Amino acid sequence: MTSASLDFDIGSELRAELRRWRKRALAVGLLGAALCAAGFLRAPFQFFRSYLWSYLFVVGLSAGSLAWLMLQYVTGGAWGVVIRRPCEAAARTLPLVALMFLPIIVGIPNLYQWSHPKIVAADEILQHKHAYLNVPFFLVRAAAYLGGWLLLSWFFNRWSAAEDRDGPGPASRKLAALAGPGLLFWGFSVTFMAIDWVLSLDPKWFSTIFGMMFMAGQALSAMAFLIALMALLSFRRPMSEILTPRHLHDLGKFLLALVMVWAYFSFSQFLIIWSANLPSEIPWYLARMRGGWQYVGLALVFGHFALPFALLLSRDLKRNFKLLAGIAVFVLFMRLVDLYWLVAPGFLRGSFGLSWLDFAAPAGVFGLWLAYFLTQLEKRPLMPLHDPHLREALEHGRE
Amino acid sequence: MADDTQLADPPRDVIAPGYTFGSITDQIAAVVLTKRTPVFWMACFSVGFGLLLLFLWAVAMLLAKGVGIWGIRTPVMWGFAITNFVWWIGIGHAGTLISAILLLLNQRWRNSINRFAEAMTLFAVACAGMFPLLHLGRPWLFYWLFPLPNSMGVMPNFRSPLVWDVFAVSTYATVSLLFWYVGLMPDLATLRDRAGNRIARLVYGVMALGWRGSARHWSVYETASLLLAGLATPLVLSVHTVVSFDFTIAIVPGWHSTFFPPYFVAGAIYSGFAMVLALAIPVRSVYGLQGLITGKHLENAAKVMLATGLIVAYAYILETFTAWYSGDVFEQAAIWHRMTGPYAFSYWALITCNILLPQALWFKRVRTSPVALFISSIFVLVGMWLERYVIIVSSLAQDFMNSSWGIFHATRWDWATYLGTIGMFLFLFFLFIRLLPMISIFEVRTLLPQAKVEKESRP
Amino acid sequence: MTTPIYGLMAEFDSPTALVRAARAAREKGYRKLDAYSPFPIEDLSGALDLHKNKLPLIVLAGGIAGLIAGYLLQYFVTVWYYPINIAGRPLHSWPSYVVIAFETTILFAALSAVLGLLALCGLPMPYHPVFNAPRFALASRNRFFLCIESRDPLFDRAQTGEFLLTLDPKEVSEVAH
Repeated sequence: MTSASLDFDIGSELRAELRRWRKRALAVGLLGAALCAAGFLRAPFQFFRSYLWSYLFVVGLSAGSLAWLMLQYVTGGAWGVVIRRPCEAAARTLPLVALMFLPIIVGIPNLYQWSHPKIVAADEILQHKHAYLNVPFFLVRAAAYLGGWLLLSWFFNRWSAAEDRDGPGPASRKLAALAGPGLLFWGFSVTFMAIDWVLSLDPKWFSTIFGMMFMAGQALSAMAFLIALMALLSFRRPMSEILTPRHLHDLGKFLLALVMVWAYFSFSQFLIIWSANLPSEIPWYLARMRGGWQYVGLALVFGHFALPFALLLSRDLKRNFKLLAGIAVFVLFMRLVDLYWLVAPGFLRGSFGLSWLDFAAPAGVFGLWLAYFLTQLEKRPLMPLHDPHLREALEHGRE
Repeated sequence: MADDTQLADPPRDVIAPGYTFGSITDQIAAVVLTKRTPVFWMACFSVGFGLLLLFLWAVAMLLAKGVGIWGIRTPVMWGFAITNFVWWIGIGHAGTLISAILLLLNQRWRNSINRFAEAMTLFAVACAGMFPLLHLGRPWLFYWLFPLPNSMGVMPNFRSPLVWDVFAVSTYATVSLLFWYVGLMPDLATLRDRAGNRIARLVYGVMALGWRGSARHWSVYETASLLLAGLATPLVLSVHTVVSFDFTIAIVPGWHSTFFPPYFVAGAIYSGFAMVLALAIPVRSVYGLQGLITGKHLENAAKVMLATGLIVAYAYILETFTAWYSGDVFEQAAIWHRMTGPYAFSYWALITCNILLPQALWFKRVRTSPVALFISSIFVLVGMWLERYVIIVSSLAQDFMNSSWGIFHATRWDWATYLGTIGMFLFLFFLFIRLLPMISIFEVRTLLPQAKVEKESRP
Repeated sequence: MTTPIYGLMAEFDSPTALVRAARAAREKGYRKLDAYSPFPIEDLSGALDLHKNKLPLIVLAGGIAGLIAGYLLQYFVTVWYYPINIAGRPLHSWPSYVVIAFETTILFAALSAVLGLLALCGLPMPYHPVFNAPRFALASRNRFFLCIESRDPLFDRAQTGEFLLTLDPKEVSEVAH
């Protein structure tokens, strides 16, 4: 079993299967998009709310995958080689993600109180914040985040293709050199993205850990998505000959670690704010702990932490492709619930509410994104041909 | 099939070529059993012992006269004591990180530095524990912190982070000790089997508990190591998280910030890796262990330092931004006082030591030069101490009402106690180097290519 | 001449030779045998057919006990034994109790791991016959040993000794009780 004897191109069976998935995703996406269009006309406020958290979900998948791509260059090692191509494909969906930001621009007046001059004029703190929270600067910053990610994605894909073509050389060195600064940019951009797009929904509230919660959330969504994808790929050539339970075990460990990190960040924020009980902070939690929202919160404690945590502790489970993929899909679903819990209660102070658009928007956004992702995935061989760790990765779990 | 052998064993530079099971054993065991004690050891041990005596003197004075000999005055009641506590306990974190987290991540380069990093953890926690204890004023009543029925009929307040700290730090000390001892057992057996001296053989033999390297034992042992690592990882994160709760649960401006838990953990690892480098670089050259603690180890430690340093930098930036963004006058004033007030010098010194200078670690030339690494690790240690000092002292000195503002001045007893614990740390650490194997012998053996079992080609 | 012995010990100089020998001895039908090495060798578990150990279960039980004990301690003290209103927080302030309950979980689990390790290995053990093998001190340095114990039903001093010699050892020696 040598690298030369392996063909990393997508086999015909797998290609057919990926196309089938793409067709399904496209159908769901178009249906969702059509419903969203109807929702936009009939209930614009509700549409923008639902759209915002659905959009944050796919941002997490793309930008999170970009972060994993850079992280595997920084740390090296066998674990990253098998997910490199799917990460690259997910990063190549960023043009679509950038396009999907347009409805948010339209929705600014519907979403953000600070965009209304009258409200700002009546409030001293909002006047103070106006230097940061104003529409033109908001758009400039959004362009900087999305533009930065696009640029990183472009470089990483371009150099990776060059590495495939010419073998290890200057391209490999450039990949490794940009990864560290790239991660730094990702950290800051995700932090300020979280502040701009989510935290400022409640313009009086602030929490310094909020950006880190989004970093953990993005990394977790992306890893769960990658695991589900790897499990799907593992049944067909070429990945059926490459992936070993040990590869999945490594990724499963990351999933477990991130589930714990998410819980750690979320609980830290809760405990600090709950204990201090200050009037400037606690209303954010009060809106999320009353009127039915407390059950969503409890569902998060169990579904986003306790259940996946307890299951992922098992070594055998992390080595079972189907079971691990099942947990990953469940975690992805809980990510949606988490984003919903972060965004929606602010609008519906006091009572729980679920609209049909809360189903149509994620279906539309994720369906279209997935279809585009699968198109991108098909374009390149599923394994990098000249990764410095390729041999190690192929040996991994076969000793 | 010829290609298979080529595929295996990617080049590893975590151990120099030419070592055998025997030579590893002999080289590490010789430091303890046969080698002449180097002058370097004598010098460091003497410095440590001298400062330890200073510590005992300072503590005696403290017990005789009370905590008033320190500079702590209302409103700055935490002063040096808590600064030093947080600094020391943070330093301890790198040891657990190296032994536990890197074990879980299968990072085998940790095998040659985990033992002394763990020892460093234990001694740092011991030093850390001194401060809250002495800060109590009447340390002999420390058991009031535990939920024991006492003469006052009072129970501790479980809603207080200071009580959480008691549980977190004592659990951490216990688990670190257990983890360290379990790791030592097979090496103690090696020392028992190699010691010439009867008393040494007896002492190491008793401590080895009868370890004989049975395959059945090894299999349980490996499970136990992984489980302990799995337990120590969340524990170590929780300890500095709880330390950060000491600040965040209070509503003092500049303390009550939700990202303190991860920020404190990153800072702890940052200073801890700096201490690992500050100790490993001189020790490896004095004992000629460059083949076991290689440039690769130093470079990896430097990379971890760079990464955690960037997280700390992120925290300073976000802290400043959020103070402005919050629109809260007290938060804004707290940061403004730090930058321009009576502690401005400390603040900017900390920014220089913690953020500006370590950016040199981006360059491979710096990461591969032991001297440059040693210097930057000292800067980081100073910077991280200043960070805790600035957080504690500047926030307490100028809080909500300017009528109750005050300034903290450290007295010579503050300095004597602080330098004294550095002495205690050096004393314990060099005692450890002299009496126990500072590198995990059995784990380094597994790094050798010949430790790998060759596969029989079966049909 | 017929003093009973503990077993026969063969010495090897590489982990590969030890694993091969252990596998051969198992295939020959020996069951009461143990291997001794200066570092853990993963393949030995397969070669000696060692069962999965119960340590993870012990640790899990310890952790759960610690969780319950830590939480109940706080609940008992703050709600029942010494109820006191602090900053208007409820008597049962569950968010605050998470921290100590977590610490006791880890403490109990870690103690169970270490005590479980010692119990499952039968340590501390002041005396063990294998140390009577002449060169056994090297088992903690650079040599690898395989011991077939005399309580094995197939054990026969002469035959077992001959069998061990076919495995290409450095040396075969008798281990006194």
